[in-house]
Amino acid sequence: MKIFIKFDFTQFCSRILDEKLDELNIKYRMLNFGEIEFLEIVSPEKLKAFDLILKQYGIEKIENQKVILVQKIKDSLIDMVFNADDTNNVKSSVYLSEKLGHSYGYLANLFSEVTYTSIENFVILQRIEYAKSLITNTDFSLTEIAFKLQYSSVAHLSTQFKNTTGITPTTFQRIIAKRRSLKNTKE
Amino acid sequence: MPFKFISNSERFLKIIFGVSLFVVLVMGGVAYRYIKELSNSINDVQHNYQVHIELEKMLSALKDAESGKRGFIISQDSTFLLPLLSSNQQIENSLEELKKLTLKDPQQQENIAELKEKIDKSLAIFEKTLQLSIANNPDSREFIAGFREGRQTMNSVRFKINEMTAHENDVLGLAKEKSVRRLSNAPMLLYYVLILSLLILLLTYLQISKNLKVLKVKNELLETFKKSTTQSEVISKHGNWIWHVEEDVYEYSDNLFRLLGEEPQSFEPNLENYLSFVHPDDVEKLSEHVSQMIEHEDLPFIHYRIIQKNGSIKHFKAYAKILVDADGYKRLLGTTADITDEIENYRLIEKRNLELERSNKELSSFNYVASHDLQEPLRKIQTFLSRLEDKEKDNLSNSGKLYIERIKASSSRMRSLIDDLLQFSRTNKSEEALEDSNINILIEAAKTDLAEIIADKKARIIVDDIPSMRAIPFQIKQLFLNLLSNSLKYSRENTSPFITVSYSKTNASDVPKVSHTKYNVFHTITIMDKGIGFDQDYAEKIFVLFNRLHNKNEYSGTGIGLSICKKIVENHNGYIIAKGEVGVGATFTIYLPIT
Amino acid sequence: MREDYTYVVLADDDEDDRLFFIEAFEELKIQTKVEVYKDGIELMCALNQPEAVLPNILFLDLNMPKKSGLECLIEIKENNRFKDIAIAIYSTSASEEDIENTFVQGANIYIKKPSAFNDLKKILSDVVTINWQYHTNGLNKDNFLLRL
Repeated sequence: MKIFIKFDFTQFCSRILDEKLDELNIKYRMLNFGEIEFLEIVSPEKLKAFDLILKQYGIEKIENQKVILVQKIKDSLIDMVFNADDTNNVKSSVYLSEKLGHSYGYLANLFSEVTYTSIENFVILQRIEYAKSLITNTDFSLTEIAFKLQYSSVAHLSTQFKNTTGITPTTFQRIIAKRRSLKNTKE
Repeated sequence: MPFKFISNSERFLKIIFGVSLFVVLVMGGVAYRYIKELSNSINDVQHNYQVHIELEKMLSALKDAESGKRGFIISQDSTFLLPLLSSNQQIENSLEELKKLTLKDPQQQENIAELKEKIDKSLAIFEKTLQLSIANNPDSREFIAGFREGRQTMNSVRFKINEMTAHENDVLGLAKEKSVRRLSNAPMLLYYVLILSLLILLLTYLQISKNLKVLKVKNELLETFKKSTTQSEVISKHGNWIWHVEEDVYEYSDNLFRLLGEEPQSFEPNLENYLSFVHPDDVEKLSEHVSQMIEHEDLPFIHYRIIQKNGSIKHFKAYAKILVDADGYKRLLGTTADITDEIENYRLIEKRNLELERSNKELSSFNYVASHDLQEPLRKIQTFLSRLEDKEKDNLSNSGKLYIERIKASSSRMRSLIDDLLQFSRTNKSEEALEDSNINILIEAAKTDLAEIIADKKARIIVDDIPSMRAIPFQIKQLFLNLLSNSLKYSRENTSPFITVSYSKTNASDVPKVSHTKYNVFHTITIMDKGIGFDQDYAEKIFVLFNRLHNKNEYSGTGIGLSICKKIVENHNGYIIAKGEVGVGATFTIYLPIT
Repeated sequence: MREDYTYVVLADDDEDDRLFFIEAFEELKIQTKVEVYKDGIELMCALNQPEAVLPNILFLDLNMPKKSGLECLIEIKENNRFKDIAIAIYSTSASEEDIENTFVQGANIYIKKPSAFNDLKKILSDVVTINWQYHTNGLNKDNFLLRL
């Protein structure tokens, strides 16, 4: 006799994790699949025991230093973009390798591997996002925003804005304004 | 001011009339006085004459008596004594008469008394002598003495009578002198007064004839005005009416009757008759307005309909205003116009507008069909082609690959035609509002769109600082995109394109081929390239839809791009002018009004 | 914090376009789960199931029978349950005003359907990547506007 079974791998793993963590009396929260957040400080002994139990089911804790480093890269870049005034327009490559103590080549490779995007693109995205928040939340003119974000000209900002988002800053501004008035009329 | 003139002349005439009246009265008075004077002097003369006659009568009676006495004395015939008796009587009568005549003259009365005394004495002597003669004693001394005495007395009587006659003549002469003195001025004065009267009459005549002329001219003017009013009433299809407020009497102009479809003055103009023409649906409204008109003595613009006897419905518009003249007499002057044509025209325009709107809607739905329904199958053809190329490339023969290339070329040409046509039809003024636009940013955006070709051709594009202006941003971007891509496309082979975009201001009078415009100054943007250029003969033609100067195998293009440019510039009330020289380059100049 | 896969849903009445869409994701080296619906009504029915798993990105064709993409968009934006879904308009062509209007109505992405398959792949990959970046980098989704 042959039977076919269908099982939900996700549910199966979640169930095991729930049981074992409860056994160890660890307070936790399931984030996405494969991600657990401990809600208290867990002793090394308990962690070790948890690792051992998981190993029996073929589950392994990812000691992912890469992800942590990428997060550090992101944090540094965001810091650089939002505080453009203080960084004296240092190139992001120089800035990153000095701050994180790795070669830029290594960081760049690692970054694309984990995020599927380049550091350059990430910086542009962050800058444009910053520009967007300045457009929507402040009264700065485009010229002032371009200056604040260390673009050589409004035209340059507009071009990069358009390249990144497909629309011009003025169109963006208009859309956001119209959205707000639409929302106001609905409420 | 004609009215002032007339009132002045009226006063003038009154004055003249008064003066004339006065003069005639004075003249009459004077003439009466003279005539009276004249008749007085005639009376004087007659009186004098009568006194004379009476005196003469008396004298002749005395003489008769004397001669009778003498005759008797000589002949002793008593018949000679007969006149004696009548003479006595005669003398008595004459004396009485004289007394009456000279009643007002004391001198003469005195003289008469004296005369009477003398006559009596003379008669006494006469008697005495007569007695003596009868006694046949004529030669007696007594008789002769008496005779002499009689003769003396007679002489004294005669003398007295002469004296009296002279006195009477004196009195007459005195009166005559007096009246002559008075009367001698009379004709002269009368003559002068007559002349004066004539003068005044003449003056009056002149003035009246002058006024008459003015009145005639004015009358003619009024007549002309009346005619032109009647004519204008007919032409502009309106009629006038007057409501005499106090009497509640209406007057309608001829044309008002005609507007109602009736013969002029064919019915009595009153409210009731008029309302019988009004459309039943509007009677109430109009009556309300009329009662308001009667109450307020004013009629604002009202609209209503009437039905002519032949059944046709007309639309009327009426308006009236009160007119109070100097005497406080009130009239409401009204105008009623037939606006049927106007309303029909308006309806026609409305209908046309609806038709236009509908056809515009059809056009835009056609645009949608072109944009969506036509593009979709084309896009699929292209996508499947790309799939075919990717997946089945190895299974295709060389000719198969060639055919695929051809299909790709054709479909991409069709795509650009559809895209450009859509762009052209969407380039409408009404869709977008003008806003302050940074032209440099828009040019930069156009350059970004062209970045690939610019990089490929290693083109250099130099752009002046251009002030921001009121424009439809995406259209201006499209304009530069088309012009720049045009310049890049028609560049010379083996030479990297060099394009300059320069800015200046131009006065309207200096904008070529522009005869009149409401703007004074124009932004002037010039796009100049050193490409293959074109023959100046085609400078106008290149802006015409689907017009291409080159074979499509040489240069790709749909022949729509520059038409779009022209449309965009015209949407901005501007002008675009092309200049070209084969082998040297092309220059496009855009004039946009400074508003 | 990355998710295992991106869940994308397309509503398009055009069979060929649905095919291209599925094939493009198949060829892309991104972990995605793709679901397609053939019109707006079918889509909204599925989304409105109480236990429905909501997509990360929803692609809407504008011109669909019965219920247009814009109607779906407005309906989705009115329901707070769908607030985390990134909406991508996936259309043949439209005027600038139409595009702007969809953004105003709350669309995040406007995609003009490309005419080459490779372009489609590139666009879809970009959309997923950028959406993922918004998701992972905690960017303000209100400012997420992308036109491709």
